[in-house]
Amino acid sequence: MASQYIHVTGSPILVAEDVDGGYTVPNRGIFIHAVDGVSLTLGSNEVLGIAGESGCGKSTLAKIIYGAVEPPLIVRRGKVLIDAGDRGFIDMLTGDREVVRKEIMWKTLSYIPQNSMNVLNPMKRVRDHFIETFKFHGIEISKKDVVSYIREVFNSVGLPIDAINAYPHQLSGGMRQRIVIALALMLKPRVVLADEPTTAVDVVTQLGILSFLKEWQRETRCSIVVISHDMGVHAYMDDRIAIMYAGNIVEYGDAEKVFTEPLHPYTRLLIESLIKKGERTIKKGILGSPPNLANPPPGCRFHPRCPYAMDVCRREQPPETRIGDNYRVRCWLYSYGKR
Amino acid sequence: MDGGILLKVDNVTKQFGYGLLGLRKFKALSSVSFELTSEPPKILVIIGETGSGKSTLLKLILRMLVPDGGTIIYRGRDIFRLDREGVKWYRREVQAVFQDPYESFNPIRRIDTYLYDSAKFLLNIGRREEAVSIIDEALRFVGLDLERIKGKSIKEFSGGELQRISIARAILSKPHLLLADEPVSMLDASLRVSVLNTFREIRDKLGSSIIYVTHDLATAYYIGDDIAVLYRGVLVERGPMDVVYSEPLHPYTKMLLNSILEPDIGARKRIKPVKLSSIEISEFLAPGCKFANRCPYAKPECGSREPPAIDIDKRTVLCWLYAK
Repeated sequence: MASQYIHVTGSPILVAEDVDGGYTVPNRGIFIHAVDGVSLTLGSNEVLGIAGESGCGKSTLAKIIYGAVEPPLIVRRGKVLIDAGDRGFIDMLTGDREVVRKEIMWKTLSYIPQNSMNVLNPMKRVRDHFIETFKFHGIEISKKDVVSYIREVFNSVGLPIDAINAYPHQLSGGMRQRIVIALALMLKPRVVLADEPTTAVDVVTQLGILSFLKEWQRETRCSIVVISHDMGVHAYMDDRIAIMYAGNIVEYGDAEKVFTEPLHPYTRLLIESLIKKGERTIKKGILGSPPNLANPPPGCRFHPRCPYAMDVCRREQPPETRIGDNYRVRCWLYSYGKR
Repeated sequence: MDGGILLKVDNVTKQFGYGLLGLRKFKALSSVSFELTSEPPKILVIIGETGSGKSTLLKLILRMLVPDGGTIIYRGRDIFRLDREGVKWYRREVQAVFQDPYESFNPIRRIDTYLYDSAKFLLNIGRREEAVSIIDEALRFVGLDLERIKGKSIKEFSGGELQRISIARAILSKPHLLLADEPVSMLDASLRVSVLNTFREIRDKLGSSIIYVTHDLATAYYIGDDIAVLYRGVLVERGPMDVVYSEPLHPYTKMLLNSILEPDIGARKRIKPVKLSSIEISEFLAPGCKFANRCPYAKPECGSREPPAIDIDKRTVLCWLYAK
């Protein structure tokens, strides 16, 4: 059993190494290459954002990190290592499923899914979802303690306490979303994977949920991975940010640097096209649209839309170039040593 | 036309039932009034959260719902008292673009057939050939052309292209009023700006007035000339965009402005965290100001008496704070 634990140097809490996966279409020979050689490290006490447009592979990456790999999703290569305490790191993809489910999921790594409205069991009261989660993880807790826990957390996420006796269908989408968040944070995980935690809610609730998550992160010194297409969310939350385009991480680094001096042409155009508060000057969007991942263009996947595209971009995939500490960009402009 | 007033929404109220058998009623819109001019054409942004009544208001203007009180006057005619010809005229005059472009079109029909049918229906054109130039002109306006879309079905377009096609469909009859219900919220950030710019061009080149409904204040400022803020069915503040944006008066408008998450990393320190609350039907039923129990400036009378409409500095605000 001990062999499944792996030693990792440095002090990260989660490491994704060269993850490569996608969706197969049965009998058609089509492979949708949604995540293409992605590497990430997450330290403790930090917020990492994963940004990108729809269909760029963000949610697929989240599923792979959480080990929720089920057909048609397959992983062809790579490791996702997570800190399992004294024993070392465990691979979410190849580790023993029982250990991963009982020891890692929810306790060390928890997941707020995108459609959190649909993950609650419609036949069970909200209260029972909490009790069962405690039971599954072998935590002895009296009903009284569960209720006092729920009371405390419902208060901070703005839910009426009566909601604990309700069935999920009796609550609004925003309320169910907050219940799922409360469940995900219940066992004080060290890493929270939040996949579009605020898509279906309006601005005031969105800020409420995000400021709650941020405060919680500061108090417990855990780490959060925020996956969102909304750059406003990233500007508010992130310490570090990874920009994804068509399955690749094209730029990765300190959030402040990426927002103020982006290097990759895609990031630059994306940030220029965002509308800031109180801005009215005419802006240009990015021409064209993201590629079909079943049949991505050769070379750099951004070259058909890139104003700086060169010959080499059309032929070969750009390598990842390190620029200073903890900053990476995947573009030929930088690997040729010129700007 | 009476003084360039295109649309006058006067004291409009709409109730819906809830609870067992829907016997109890709450007001999804209570006494909403505003005007829209056609000279010069303007973009009015209606902003509000989920459940604020913004979609109900659009449906009323589109004649999909009938109000329980008040009138909607378009170019001097009550839109709920039109005869058959009047209804056809109204459909040519007022068109809409909806949120999800994939749901606006029939998925099994070719997109050009769809445009031909719309043109035939709206403009009384008998033959396909006559419609061609009109459709092509509308498509060129949004940066596409008929050759490019001919014979394709909706799955072959990106969300941005499809949304532009549905704008082209809406401007086939050169409407004087265009309604847009969150037209960019389903689109990716890189495609949004070009669709927003199209709306500006419609105002400037076609001279159509636009009612643009959204919950996103940053895009609202980018596109709008005037703004109206809806909260729980009440228009709490309305006026020119610049004035309201730079100096919001109603406490709710202030809270909305603070809540915008800007894609600007320097802004994060300025944002004050808010406490979460849940929407309850009791807020709609409250006798006084609907915002009273979330309002940081609430006085005891706010919860019991309806705030008056007060005109200050080119705008109207419904709040006891400004009452003399």
